[in-house]
Amino acid sequence: MNGQSSPIWLMVFGLFYVSVMLYWARVAARENGDHETYFSAGHSLSPWISALILAGASVSGWFVLGGSEMIATHGFGLPAVLTAGVALALPGVLFFKRIWYVGQRLRLSSQAEIFRSYYESDFLVVVSTAIALLFAIGFAGLQMRVLSQMMALLTDGLVSPLGAGVVLGTVLFAGVVIGGMRAVGYFGVIQTVVAYSATAVLAGFALFWSGGFAALNSGLAELAARPDAASLFSIDGVIHFTSGLGRGGDPAEADTAVASLSLALAFMGFQASPLALKIVLSTRGGNGFGAGQTWVMAGVFGGLIAFAMAIIGAAGLVDPAMSVSGMLLKLQASSPWFSGWIFIGIAAGVQLLAGLALLTAGESLVRHVYKPYFNSSLSRRSTVTLTRIVIAVMAVVAMLLQSLTPVTLSALAGLALPLAFQLWTPLLGVTWLRWITRPAAVVGVGFGVVGVILTEPLGYQVLAFLGLELPWGRWPWTIHSAAWGMAANLAAVFIISAITNRNVFGEEAVEIRRFLSGTLRVSTRARNLTSTAWSVGLAWVFLAIGPGLIFGNSAFGTLGVEGGSWRVGMPSLWAWALAGWVTGVGLIWFLAYRMEMASPYTTDIPAYQPPRRLSHDRRPAERERLRVLVIAAAAVFLAVAVVAFSFGG
Amino acid sequence: MPRLATVERDLLVFSIWAVLGLLGLGFLLEGLTRDAYPLALIGILLVVAGFVAHIIVNQIFGKGFRRGETALGIGAFGALALVFIAAWTAGELSMADYASGLTLFGVLVAGLVAYLATRHGLRGAFSQFHFKPGQDEGNDR
Repeated sequence: MNGQSSPIWLMVFGLFYVSVMLYWARVAARENGDHETYFSAGHSLSPWISALILAGASVSGWFVLGGSEMIATHGFGLPAVLTAGVALALPGVLFFKRIWYVGQRLRLSSQAEIFRSYYESDFLVVVSTAIALLFAIGFAGLQMRVLSQMMALLTDGLVSPLGAGVVLGTVLFAGVVIGGMRAVGYFGVIQTVVAYSATAVLAGFALFWSGGFAALNSGLAELAARPDAASLFSIDGVIHFTSGLGRGGDPAEADTAVASLSLALAFMGFQASPLALKIVLSTRGGNGFGAGQTWVMAGVFGGLIAFAMAIIGAAGLVDPAMSVSGMLLKLQASSPWFSGWIFIGIAAGVQLLAGLALLTAGESLVRHVYKPYFNSSLSRRSTVTLTRIVIAVMAVVAMLLQSLTPVTLSALAGLALPLAFQLWTPLLGVTWLRWITRPAAVVGVGFGVVGVILTEPLGYQVLAFLGLELPWGRWPWTIHSAAWGMAANLAAVFIISAITNRNVFGEEAVEIRRFLSGTLRVSTRARNLTSTAWSVGLAWVFLAIGPGLIFGNSAFGTLGVEGGSWRVGMPSLWAWALAGWVTGVGLIWFLAYRMEMASPYTTDIPAYQPPRRLSHDRRPAERERLRVLVIAAAAVFLAVAVVAFSFGG
Repeated sequence: MPRLATVERDLLVFSIWAVLGLLGLGFLLEGLTRDAYPLALIGILLVVAGFVAHIIVNQIFGKGFRRGETALGIGAFGALALVFIAAWTAGELSMADYASGLTLFGVLVAGLVAYLATRHGLRGAFSQFHFKPGQDEGNDR
């Protein structure tokens, strides 16, 4: 077997993948009855399926590509990447069980519907839709671009990046359009398992080529002897008061403890995103979230990140030729069957996320924005058809952005997680914190969105185009935009909640509050453990992802001129992160089960019957709304053009 | 069995073979290419693990192999056997290839007999291949 025949194996596995995908799309379409349960799989996904695809969409694709790349280029200076399994599980434990019960009670199937029911806020619906769109086009599109380039590399230019993007996009589009949420759920199980296994096998190859775990760490120890290597193996202080990347701060200075903490906060955004809640609300039972978040997400996938992804990244750090692409190329020359299978595994993980994002964004745009505001008479069948068209358009736009404007794609992708993190406050209002008022949640998210945009490249580049140069760049003070946004968000929520009436809520919000406080009341035993939970939780956050990370610099060894002197045979920060992962799994278990935040609970949930209201003809108002939208869009465009012409460039 | 349970069982079966089956195939090919019997043996063990996992899933869901699965399995076995015999007669097999092939077929045949014997008993195992004319073949086990 020689390298020239290797693309054949990639194509064989690719064809196998497409065949299996189409098979499951067909199964899903038949069960959907074409359009009846297209959007939420009839709320019938098994809890174990939901647990797997939640973990798969959260972790598998982008961590093996982005996470390992981050370690390979920046070392272990951002340990939050290694404990991301726990950071991702934390919001799952906090929100999923209660959100699922709310969804069951009010028969809701998406985050936008929950916001509309509880807060009666159009703004939150639009923000939720915009975030889904950012995930579909930016976040998933960026990963699809990396995959396309990798595919072009593996086929030795036989398939161009554009061609690879079209192939991958078409496959993705076909599965989602045919089978909807049910296809995402069903095929997502296989995608997750293959992606997880491929990552583990790739880590095995990385270890094999490095000469084993001890040899890999010897290489890291030698690397630590370099004069400039300190930033690769240690946290560079708690905070640096720099102006941010692109304004005098340089990338190495971002390896601070607060950079790590704020990055972990950004990771936590995924589980508050409309994508994650789409899966949660398509599940048929609420009893699997505890096990899913504790053992699947924090346990298995957390371990996958802390070990497998870290090994792949460390191998790339020791030898830059051992990046993910480098290893696949090396495998392709000697064992193309493994190379093909691993590539398909990584692609499967990314496609799971991309498929889920496309479906969620398409549904949000059509069902939650277009239909209620502009065309309420749209039938169920037409809604599904229009959603399929919108998904096709989004897939094409994502493909074009991947090929033509990678910088814009990257800027959009950078916004998805931090913006999703801003949805924590309204979700907390729905599930736990009854004192968060409607105006506070809405204004808080608004402030949060502005805070994120102004500390990300998209924001300051747009402002620069309009002639306004911000004095800071990306991540000022080495703090991720997710945290800047949340600081503004929380400030607004605290102040506005304090000065607004806490009892002004609609009927459905009152029903949700009554239902949660009655049905999901925590037991006395759990209430007695509240202070313990706060103490343990805050201690973990401080030590595992917060300022306490600086203790990890020397807890398990030191750096010297002879290189790393590590007591446990691996970099001290890596060992510290592993300890954080193990204790984090314990923390998640404690919160999920002992604090009853995600523990199994069985009860019949009758559907809430809203009071009957007189229906009226909404078409004139919808037509007027459309007219106002067009005029407003034209006015904004003109204003931007005039400002840019006058001051920017 | 309810439709959803069937779907879940099929999902698990697909997942098992997408990982253990394809990985096993990879190691088998690696062993044959490099004339490395231990590598081929790892591949064979992975295929066996796939069968064991498949049988466990069947047991959990109270189901046997489906007709399509049986046909695919026997077809794949036949195709592999054909390739092996063709390569053998062409004289292109090294000792490691020869040993790998024999181990694979030996293990698969022994596994099949063991499966049938434990599931149906020795007499019943024989009867699985002995259909009388007009016998109802509707059972998918």
